Amino acid sequence: MSLVDLPRYEFARPATLDETCAMLAEREAKREKTVLLAGGTDFMVQVSQGKLASDPLPLVVDIGRLDELRGVRLDGSRLRIGAAVTYLELQRDPIVREYAPLVAQMTHDIGGPTIQARGTLGGNLATASPAGDGIAAIAAYDPIIEVQSVRGRRRIPMAELQTGYKATTRAGDELIVAIELPLPAHGAAWCWRKVGTRLAQAISKVALGAVAEVSGGKVGRIGLAIASVGPTTSLLPRTRALVTATPLANLTAATVDAVVAEDVSPIDDVRSTREYRVHTAKAVVRGFLRELGAPV
Amino acid sequence: MKVALKVNGVQRHVDMAPLARLLDALRGPLGLTGTKEGCGEGECGSCAVFLDGVPVNACLVPIGQCDGCEVVTVEGLAAAGHLAPLQACMAEHGGAQCGICTPGMLIAAEALLRRNPDPTPVEVRTAIAGNLCRCTGYERIVQSVLHAAHELRSTEKGAAE
Repeated sequence: MSLVDLPRYEFARPATLDETCAMLAEREAKREKTVLLAGGTDFMVQVSQGKLASDPLPLVVDIGRLDELRGVRLDGSRLRIGAAVTYLELQRDPIVREYAPLVAQMTHDIGGPTIQARGTLGGNLATASPAGDGIAAIAAYDPIIEVQSVRGRRRIPMAELQTGYKATTRAGDELIVAIELPLPAHGAAWCWRKVGTRLAQAISKVALGAVAEVSGGKVGRIGLAIASVGPTTSLLPRTRALVTATPLANLTAATVDAVVAEDVSPIDDVRSTREYRVHTAKAVVRGFLRELGAPV
Repeated sequence: MKVALKVNGVQRHVDMAPLARLLDALRGPLGLTGTKEGCGEGECGSCAVFLDGVPVNACLVPIGQCDGCEVVTVEGLAAAGHLAPLQACMAEHGGAQCGICTPGMLIAAEALLRRNPDPTPVEVRTAIAGNLCRCTGYERIVQSVLHAAHELRSTEKGAAE
């Protein structure tokens, strides 16, 4: 879109989280639309292509620099990641690399370096695309998503965040402040597996984030999440239940495949087919279980 | 919206719509046409510039977020009318053909060499993974960056001795 055609969006850069919440509350009360802007990697494409609903024009609020949304903190067995921390910052953060290696590994497969420098987990969660790689990676940890508004702070379990395609339970006056990962035991098994036309830039056909604690041939805690196999990030509840209820040695490829097939509901689209995605979802889950010692 | 930003070391000002892209500011009022627009949607990397020391796609950065920031474009890589070693190597070793991707490639490669002066070919390929080239097949670009890295290390070693 040429500059001449660019709609005259209003733009605000509040200095604090409180100021941002007050602004959102006021807009919401008047039923006026607001767009929260962090890294802009999705939003700016929509603006440039004229795909953003512009009648009425939303207020664009820059939250990328808010201190309250920045930084990574380890708090006992919980890792707290600010919603506006970039993928590049996660990639280079020694705490993330040590305690949440799956998250650090995932960042390498998001776009290319210039996208990693701008994109954020908060943005990925708010956009709530089922193809969001960042969501699949953190969802393996069963995180809590912290949202804030003038009404206070609310903690949303990952399983209760997404309600449908690009839809979440976050209210219009709430913004995502942080992601809290309840960490598995240090040294727990993990895997990140993205399948796309290429690793850089490509949007996933299937992407698996997985963590597991294994002891005495049995899986205690397991977290599995797959992107691009349904309207929301798939958390594979039936597969998790099977794996924790069955000694690894007793798992078979057939039983695993059957529950994975029940857990995913992909579609045919421009990037892949339903058939390929179901096949690949089974394959990546079995690949992880093989690493844990299952004969699948 | 009035925005003050430092571009290639010089304090500059622009007055544009807040969601105009940094790319529009650079190629328009700032007169720096070295930065190219390829896809305009963050896929090709030809508009890469340093924003506060980190390479970003200038087509995805609204100018409204740039107030107080420091930008370095491909023009900022050369000093006093001389090509930087990285630029010279790209020209010499066939890393540049049609030239549209070259400014972005140079920014990506410069970012790599600042952090890793002795990269492997795989590290070079990873660093330019967000930059598309339709001419070279990448091999010459990778070789150019490796040559530049070698040259820069030799110069530094020479300076230290």
